[in-house]
Amino acid sequence: MGALLLLGVAGTALGQEITVSGTVTAPTGAPLREVRVRVEGGEARALTDANGRYTIQAPTNGTLSFSLLGRRAMQVAVDGRTTIDVTMEAVAYLADVVVTAYVEQRRADVTGAVSSVNLDATSRQTTASVLQRLDASVAGVTVNNSGSPGSRSTVRIRGISSFQNNDPLYIVDGTPVQESYVNWLNPNDITSVQVLKDASAASIYGARASNGVVLIETTKRGARGAPRATFRARTGISSPVKGYDDFLILNSMDYFEVVKRSYENAGLPVPTNIYGSASSPAVPEYIWPNNCGPLDEDGEPTPGPCSSLDESSYTFPNNLIMPGSAGTNWWDAVFGTGYVGDYHLDVSGGGDDNSYLVSFNYFDQKGTAAWNSFKRGGARVNTVFKPGKLSFGENIAISVARSFGGYPDDPDGFAEDGIIGKNILMQPVVPVYDVRGNFASGKAVGLGNQTNPLKEAWADKDDVAKNDRVFGNAFVALEVNPDFQLQSKFGFNLGITSFTGFSPIYPENSEPTLTNAVTENSNRFTDWTWSNTLTYRRQLIENHNVSFLLGQEANRITSRFIDAAMNNFINTDINSRYLQDALGDAATKNVNSSGGRSALLSFFGKADYNYADRYLLSLTVRRDGSSNLGPSHRWGTFPAVGLGWRMSNEPFMRDNGIFSDLMLRFGWGITGNQLIPSGRIVNQFGGSRGDTYYDIGGTNTDILAGFRLTSLGNADLKWEENRSVNFGADFTIFDGLLEFVIDLYQRETNNLLFDPPLPGTAGVAASPIVNVGKMQNRGIDFSIGHRTDVWSVTFNGSHYRNKIVQIDGVQDFFYGPIATRFGNQVINQVGHPIGSFYGLVADGMFRDAADVAAHADQDGAAPGRIKFRDVNGDGAVTLADRTIIGSPHPDFTAGLDATYRWRDFDVSATLFGTFGNEIFDAQKEYYVFRNFSTNVRSDLLTDSWTPDNPNAKYPRLDVNDNFSRVISSYYIEDGSYIRLRNVQVAYNVPRSFGLLQSARVYVQAENLFTITDYPGLDPALPAANVFGPAGDIRDQYRGVDRGSYPSSRTISFGVVTNF
Amino acid sequence: MKSLSRNPMIFGTAFLLIAGVALYGCQDFLERASAPQGTLDEGTLANRTGVEGTLIAAYRSLDWNTGVGGAWGSAASNWVWGSATSDDAYKGSEASDQPPINDIEAYQWATADAESYLNDKWRGSYEGVVRSNATIRLLKRVRAEIPGEISDADARGIEGEALFLRAHYHFEAWRMWGNIPYYREEDTDYRKANLQSAAALDEILADLDSAISLLEPGPRNGQVGRATEWAAKAYKGRVEVYAGRWADALTTLRDVEANGPYELEPSYDRVWTGFDEWANGPETIFAFQASSNDGEPSGNNANYGERLNFPHSGSPFGCCGFHQPSQNLVNFFAVDAAGLPLAITDAGWNARNTNLSASASAALALDPRLDWTVGRDGVPYKDWGLHQPGWIRSPAYGGPYSPKKNIHEKASGAESSVGWVPTQLNSVNIHLFRYADLLLMLAEAEVEAGTLPNALALVNRVRARAAVRAQGPGTARANIAVPINDPSITWAVYRVGQYPAFPTQAYARTAVRYERRLELAMEGQRFFDLKRWQIADQVLNEYVAIEKTRRPYLTAAQTFAARHYLYPIPAIQIELSKVDGQERLTQNTGW
Repeated sequence: MGALLLLGVAGTALGQEITVSGTVTAPTGAPLREVRVRVEGGEARALTDANGRYTIQAPTNGTLSFSLLGRRAMQVAVDGRTTIDVTMEAVAYLADVVVTAYVEQRRADVTGAVSSVNLDATSRQTTASVLQRLDASVAGVTVNNSGSPGSRSTVRIRGISSFQNNDPLYIVDGTPVQESYVNWLNPNDITSVQVLKDASAASIYGARASNGVVLIETTKRGARGAPRATFRARTGISSPVKGYDDFLILNSMDYFEVVKRSYENAGLPVPTNIYGSASSPAVPEYIWPNNCGPLDEDGEPTPGPCSSLDESSYTFPNNLIMPGSAGTNWWDAVFGTGYVGDYHLDVSGGGDDNSYLVSFNYFDQKGTAAWNSFKRGGARVNTVFKPGKLSFGENIAISVARSFGGYPDDPDGFAEDGIIGKNILMQPVVPVYDVRGNFASGKAVGLGNQTNPLKEAWADKDDVAKNDRVFGNAFVALEVNPDFQLQSKFGFNLGITSFTGFSPIYPENSEPTLTNAVTENSNRFTDWTWSNTLTYRRQLIENHNVSFLLGQEANRITSRFIDAAMNNFINTDINSRYLQDALGDAATKNVNSSGGRSALLSFFGKADYNYADRYLLSLTVRRDGSSNLGPSHRWGTFPAVGLGWRMSNEPFMRDNGIFSDLMLRFGWGITGNQLIPSGRIVNQFGGSRGDTYYDIGGTNTDILAGFRLTSLGNADLKWEENRSVNFGADFTIFDGLLEFVIDLYQRETNNLLFDPPLPGTAGVAASPIVNVGKMQNRGIDFSIGHRTDVWSVTFNGSHYRNKIVQIDGVQDFFYGPIATRFGNQVINQVGHPIGSFYGLVADGMFRDAADVAAHADQDGAAPGRIKFRDVNGDGAVTLADRTIIGSPHPDFTAGLDATYRWRDFDVSATLFGTFGNEIFDAQKEYYVFRNFSTNVRSDLLTDSWTPDNPNAKYPRLDVNDNFSRVISSYYIEDGSYIRLRNVQVAYNVPRSFGLLQSARVYVQAENLFTITDYPGLDPALPAANVFGPAGDIRDQYRGVDRGSYPSSRTISFGVVTNF
Repeated sequence: MKSLSRNPMIFGTAFLLIAGVALYGCQDFLERASAPQGTLDEGTLANRTGVEGTLIAAYRSLDWNTGVGGAWGSAASNWVWGSATSDDAYKGSEASDQPPINDIEAYQWATADAESYLNDKWRGSYEGVVRSNATIRLLKRVRAEIPGEISDADARGIEGEALFLRAHYHFEAWRMWGNIPYYREEDTDYRKANLQSAAALDEILADLDSAISLLEPGPRNGQVGRATEWAAKAYKGRVEVYAGRWADALTTLRDVEANGPYELEPSYDRVWTGFDEWANGPETIFAFQASSNDGEPSGNNANYGERLNFPHSGSPFGCCGFHQPSQNLVNFFAVDAAGLPLAITDAGWNARNTNLSASASAALALDPRLDWTVGRDGVPYKDWGLHQPGWIRSPAYGGPYSPKKNIHEKASGAESSVGWVPTQLNSVNIHLFRYADLLLMLAEAEVEAGTLPNALALVNRVRARAAVRAQGPGTARANIAVPINDPSITWAVYRVGQYPAFPTQAYARTAVRYERRLELAMEGQRFFDLKRWQIADQVLNEYVAIEKTRRPYLTAAQTFAARHYLYPIPAIQIELSKVDGQERLTQNTGW
């Protein structure tokens, strides 16, 4: 912070003030208005008028800066002149210099499919990660995440290429990172984000580039001169976009009506233990205990509602008393208003041979769910020293992140285990608290067997997931001569993630838990990358330019994980939650550790040839060795070719009046993937006390060690290869009025790394990973930009079609990794997209007995129940009639980003839409079919089948109907939506006060509206958090709504200022 | 510097060489990072420890439960397949919990839900086979590579035990599916075609014969959980009975009865018990050796597969009310004046459709085994107090009764202290084959051979033991079990009579079958017995016809037809058996 003290002496000796004026024009000669002209380091500022004219006071030895959205910013030294005319070139909406492949490259020279992210657009949001809103800014990218603070972002580039993890490779300042939480990276530090989408762009990162590469640069540094500071602050409040209380029953008597009809329609007596008699039901005085019915012949009370109880007999935890509720709004009990605060300060400066930047960040987001928050503090130091031809320096970030409340992840397993699922599972008659203020639950028969979701949130309130990280690199470079440079860079990613959690007793539950537990774990990892590169660039003869890159890289990742737990803590106070013998039941203390280790060694080269900026040729080859693969297949070679033809530079295109720029691109290349657990090349043996140990001596307490084969190895494991072909065109028409980028691609994954299931007769050891599968993605991405002096609009769209071509050569399908209560709704089948929905086809409801008789033989068929199609025509509805019933993949996704400037105001907005994707709403198991006596949708009362309402939305209410709920197309909903992601109105304060050189204040709103037909909570679903023995497999389970943390609507206010 | 700038390629090459060599300095940079972390390898286990440990793991698969990777459908007791599908029990709990068992109980076995459970049973059975075969393979390897590492005697014992287990796991699959593939230690193709049912039986019997020839009469190392020569002989007799090879069965079972080490427990309360001192008594032929508080953090070894089968919320166990005895079963325990099953003389034995609570049965003559098998309102529940209506999760759905055999005595200390609801986890051993079961099978064989007096003696022997002790007040350990005429018993009049004679073969057959039901109720045997007697369709269709008036959800049951004599092979396993597009496994007829 010492740098701040220097601010007071920021003014350096300036020359004499003179009046400078001039005209700013486009290269075509058209005047540019609203160009912002400033004196560098000073306070003076001006705007050009409609004729492009400006006038400003400036020191004779000062520098003027010219800036306008959509034009390349310029600095011009005054040098004593009083007239300075400037021509500002249009900046392609893609930045003009991009960092690709270890070196900076002119945008114009790029022949691959590379998209630069518009950071202005992605910064108009309040999430912890820069990744969360990439999909609206970059064509060909999809992003999924939940509304939980600090949630994981599932970024997918151009479809899905593997059954395993499809995360792109992130290269942060040259250091590769493969993970989907990039929350430790302060978005305010980021200077550029490039997405390398095809192999000709990405294959220089061969080894791990098959899912595309996202290059993130945080190399912001100071300019020469005294320290300058930027301060950014943003605070906001948020609320859920939609809640269950928008469509579930909130009134106890309405709920009872559903129960009553369900029993009556089934011909069964209506339960009386909660609401009393079915003919005159009432909200009960108490829901627990409810053994106040008439005494049976043994003199024991039968279950029945209690109306008068001696509340003084209450004891915790053994004798709880819970009142009845006329209608608990469970959503409202758990979800409310969230908060976000984001504060950033950076100080930068430099001298003749050095520059530096120091930044600080504090981010604090409280989720909309109770006791759920994410906090991050970070600091960054970037410096470079350039004595002579040498330069060296470092970019280092330290980040400390804390996630409280245990919901940063997307749902896993049965989603009913979390606060979202449990919200549906609680009936309105259950109160939040019992008569003494302890948490209540549905303990009585008929109230389900759930946990109070607010209790669940409360229980986890001190659960903390920590992520401490040191990330960065140190480098040294030698510029031997202007053509020739050497660089050595050592990148590192060191971290410790840990979790501490507590689970209390749940005596109030119908299935009570009477033991508490503390669990904790810690994962320490060390990931380093050492890369050495040599670049040579030269014009050989007139118009013939060549450049070469040669490099070598080594990478090693080691990690060690330890977890432990203990039960029955005597004191559950947070200060006692340590795993020590005296604090709980020492006999239950349990500890395990595990680890991982893998390495990559790589050599690579790239040659570029450019003839007169017309013909471009780029050749890349990389050779990688991976420790994860079989000894004889460790090394893979990944070549790529890129061709470019800048037609607009051809003589015949000169002065064509339409195209100011036209470039055709072609790319072909191979990228690899080896993202599987290490050590899968040999058979692994193991076991555990609960799986292989056995009490052979019949002692009842002493078990002997046992071992089994736990996973099968494959010594022939080799690289997964992704071959991609890309045709692209970039063109600009009418002097930058419209800019187009369009790419057509095909990506084919061969030798896909995958562990196809073995028959049960092979045992339960994890299947070997093999390289047999094939997958294909074809698609198109495009973007259209339009700019005027006041308008800037970009629209991008993308479409891909994913197809599984081969699985293991024999099998033609395998099921998805998660089954919900009623089975598995996902299949991976040859010829169809990964993760397709699978089940029976629902054809409405049976109208009457005649309809039942006329239909194919179907178990449980009855009027009002769902009719399923006899797909195979064998006269009976069986499992064999299951078929593909939907796909989670969109037909089209699009983003629209617009900015309008008027004087000192600007307004920006981003719209995102996805079309044609389907959602399997697994929550219908609960809120339609009332499995586990859960709450249900309120329109079940008005729109369930009756003889008078034969075209109802829902089948007949009937507790005996265990048939309609089987997995079928009845669960499928259209997941298309259009969402106003954000709107921002900003004011650029015209005359700043005191030390402030500029200031910008804004107010912004996120998720103001969503247009969708999806009847569930939120059509923007996160990917499931699901792992198989061979790693992350969330792409096998997309688009199934099991209840996830919904997006928030956030209104925030911010300020950015320099001083 | 100047020379460098003149010779950039030389400098650059040198730079890369230095960097490259530095890395290659540790030539095994990749190799060193390739080893799996935190696992054992084949070599480490190629010794005595590895062989014995692999065998232990083969035993552990006897209960392949949720904690280990399967579901309730692969629990040791077969409560889903052998009991809930029979007239002994309902699924219990409430309609919406574990809906796959609704389908299974309703004989709707082709649904996706039923398939998920069938697949667990299939995988659990073959995981046992795989572990058994792994033991034999590793044993042979170690014997070849390290002579003397394992003594000849131990080698014979290990191989014999592994063969016994292999036979057992295949038998489990055979009881379910009949036409099953058989896997031996030399098999490497896991997509073998299934055998015809009879051929599979021959394989099982061949393995048991080998086991008999290798095993010693007593357990190796004195460890009572191990299979012995006598256990293998007994099991062989059981398989022969299942095969209907009555002559062979008679020979085998008579030998075990005459020469084997087994005896009935002196009283019935000691058969299913959490008391350590009664576990593995003389009646145990082969059992899953459950253990609790053994250091395992989730109670996986403490009968995880049975944990749903405890009284629900209001009870000391908290959950989950599954596997509830049927009204039909409860009625079946009524006896006539002679203490013989009422069903043998009175066709109206199943008339009662009301809760047989303590007050309702106070003056009723009952077989005392009822109150070791079924929890009834007002009757002491071992030493947990009186069973109460509030212990039942949904009486309108699953009736008023609770299972009892798998429940530990409070005083036994068998309860787990860890796991999800540890009150439902215990170390009560699960009988896979007990001597009373064997004696009654022998009785069947005697009946089929026409030697009715032998059968009579066997049945009466089992009945005599049943008459020793009944459920007592259970207020202390000492009065959990009391003499059947103890004055403290106010909830029933217990009576167990001896059959004076079996007048005809048909009468004898009926008496033996009734005795099996009374003796082995709720032990997962009933459905398989009905199948092998070829009366499952008749008995179960009659059962459903009456029971659905008591438990309306049973109206969903399908008619038990010929195809139901074998469960369908899980469709997914048939799919996974494909070689070159051809399915190697053939589905059972009718599915």
